[in-house]
Amino acid sequence: MLHIEHLTVHRGSQRLFENLDLHIAPGEVLTLMGASGSGKSTLLNWLIGALDPAFNASGTLWLNGQRRDALPTELRRIGILFQDDLLFSHMSVGQNLAFALPTDVRGAARRARITQVLADVGLAGFSERDPATLSGGQRARVSLMRALLAEPDALLLDEPFSKLDAVLRGQFRAWVFEHLQRTGIPTLLVTHDPQDAPAGGKVMDICQWQQMLS
Amino acid sequence: MPVALVIVPVLPGLYWALSPAWGSQVWLALWHEPQWPQALQATLTSALLGSVLAAASAAMLAMLIYPSALWFRMQRHLAVLLSVPHAAFAVGLFFLLAPSGWLARALAPLFGWTSPPDWLSVQDPWGLSLTLALAIKESWFLLWILMALLGEQAVARQMLVARSLGYGRMQIWRAVLWPQLLPRLAWPMAAVLAYGLSVVDMAIVLGPGTPPTLAVLVWHWLTDASPEQQALGAAASLVLLALLVAVGGLASLAWLVHRRQRQRRLPTGQRRPHNPPVWLKLHLPLLGIGYLVVALLVLWSLAGPWFFPALWPQALTLESWRSANWQPFWTTLWLATAASMWCVAATLVWLEWGPQRYNAVLYLPLIVPVLPLVAGQYAALLKLQLDGQAVGVLWSHLLMVLPYTLLTLVGAYRSFDDRLMTSARALGQSRLSACLRVKWPLLQRPIATALAVGFAVSVAQYLPTLFAGGGRFATVTTEAVALSAGGNRRVLAVQALLQVVLPLVGFALAALWPRWNSRHRLGLR
Repeated sequence: MLHIEHLTVHRGSQRLFENLDLHIAPGEVLTLMGASGSGKSTLLNWLIGALDPAFNASGTLWLNGQRRDALPTELRRIGILFQDDLLFSHMSVGQNLAFALPTDVRGAARRARITQVLADVGLAGFSERDPATLSGGQRARVSLMRALLAEPDALLLDEPFSKLDAVLRGQFRAWVFEHLQRTGIPTLLVTHDPQDAPAGGKVMDICQWQQMLS
Repeated sequence: MPVALVIVPVLPGLYWALSPAWGSQVWLALWHEPQWPQALQATLTSALLGSVLAAASAAMLAMLIYPSALWFRMQRHLAVLLSVPHAAFAVGLFFLLAPSGWLARALAPLFGWTSPPDWLSVQDPWGLSLTLALAIKESWFLLWILMALLGEQAVARQMLVARSLGYGRMQIWRAVLWPQLLPRLAWPMAAVLAYGLSVVDMAIVLGPGTPPTLAVLVWHWLTDASPEQQALGAAASLVLLALLVAVGGLASLAWLVHRRQRQRRLPTGQRRPHNPPVWLKLHLPLLGIGYLVVALLVLWSLAGPWFFPALWPQALTLESWRSANWQPFWTTLWLATAASMWCVAATLVWLEWGPQRYNAVLYLPLIVPVLPLVAGQYAALLKLQLDGQAVGVLWSHLLMVLPYTLLTLVGAYRSFDDRLMTSARALGQSRLSACLRVKWPLLQRPIATALAVGFAVSVAQYLPTLFAGGGRFATVTTEAVALSAGGNRRVLAVQALLQVVLPLVGFALAALWPRWNSRHRLGLR
């Protein structure tokens, strides 16, 4: 369960949003809509612990009953996926995945796990490949698997579909939601495109916390 | 082509200048030259150790404080410090470290000194004070480059993604950032090393005296009247070039081996999320020394009587400024103004109409030791009988300034929205008038920056001015270096400070002028 409580962010005298409250249940994908420049990225940066020091934020972040907003990024156990896949270009596909895998999966089991994960997402035999030789859709899949292999307690998606072309987009979207449902972690999807929201999922607009602001 | 005018005459010049080095007896003579071993040692120490220390301190600082608010605050300081020319920095560091310098004065009460201690803290025979100066000055440059690279969103986000996977900053630097950044730092590192190998002005101020570093020796030999000495100079300047190529080759080889080893290993997933203590404030000494050095220049230029153990002068006076020799200032001003304007114009023409594939050739002066180049220029000027003339000096500066104006402008020029040009052409403008009326006015900000950068580079030139000017043209740089041998610190401080002020004013104008010019155009701010 992810819970944002009374979040108010401002920059100097300018308020970005006030008293933002959100609950996301395990396995739920909540979609947060907002035009560009509406403060979506600022919210994500606050959630991940990378808020620009120019902003002032007050509010609490609860995740599985623990307060996380005072922890540094590396201790929050919150994964993030951007519109760029951000695979590490100096590592092979397998190395990228192994980078995320917890350390208790050791030796041969580590290699086996990578092989299996790649097979699961339709990329069998890709472990030694250079990420630069993969298609956009393939890279996006590896990127999601990398985020999930670290076993995060929550996942943030920052317009993750916007760079894919229209055909690929629909397929990839369905594939992502299917995977997320299986992991059972709360997910916050931030986008400006209403079509990105999963069917039947809750959709909210960031404006509702900005209306009282002029 | 204005660009060809700058480059083409250097090529036969290089041949004329370096051809005396063909022949084994020259190399034998160099080998038996009594100053050779110690000069080579001092050069290797200052250039190699200086570059390594510069890289290490820049890297350490980046690892400690990126990403933090401090990292972004540092940017402004670096911009100021980078505009302090090498020679002025060396003079200020001399004022700090010399046996009668400010550091010894600060320590004097502790040890009860009444006369300067018996230190070898500057001009030491091993070249260590020169090493220190290069390490500090070049670490700022490398930090600046790192800042530009880390400013790219793709790089910054990789840090964020790796942190969200549970890794600590130090681990991420090692596993994610360095492997990707190091290849991109290769050329800046080559520039640092090439600079260290062939630096003459700093070496005269801070380096060993007899024998001096190899670069200073080469300069003495090349300007000697006897052909034997000139041949020695040509051979030794080839040695400098060979050193650069050898170190570069070794570094690339080491990199290849390292990459091969890394290829098949899977990361173990070990997380060490605890970050190094923030109290390690490496940035304070590294940046602070720059301000201290400039403050000492100011203090000395205003000092009245100031005897050894005193920390402050007995009185402040404007006397040194009133009696200052302003001739070098005016020479520098017209030379740097002409050189930067010419180079920016040439760069604009090159970027608009020139063959972009050959940009790499224009960058060569940045990563080639400057001595052989300057010798080549001088030889060409001798043939054209333009040595010792204003035109010759100006031309010799162009080759050094051009790569910097190109480097400053190329990014902005490439990212210019070409549809604006298409619209202008569609409205019936010729390409030239579209450039004059649309493209270049819109690029006024990067153009102003390029002018300031070119100006600063020209102000800092030492060797080209001396060679091409035949000693007849004194700029603030040559004057400061010449005065550093004499005993009058006040006169020296004034010239060194003028050398600091000129580029600073240039940068300030470059920041203000476009803003004033477009005060009625919100979109240009």
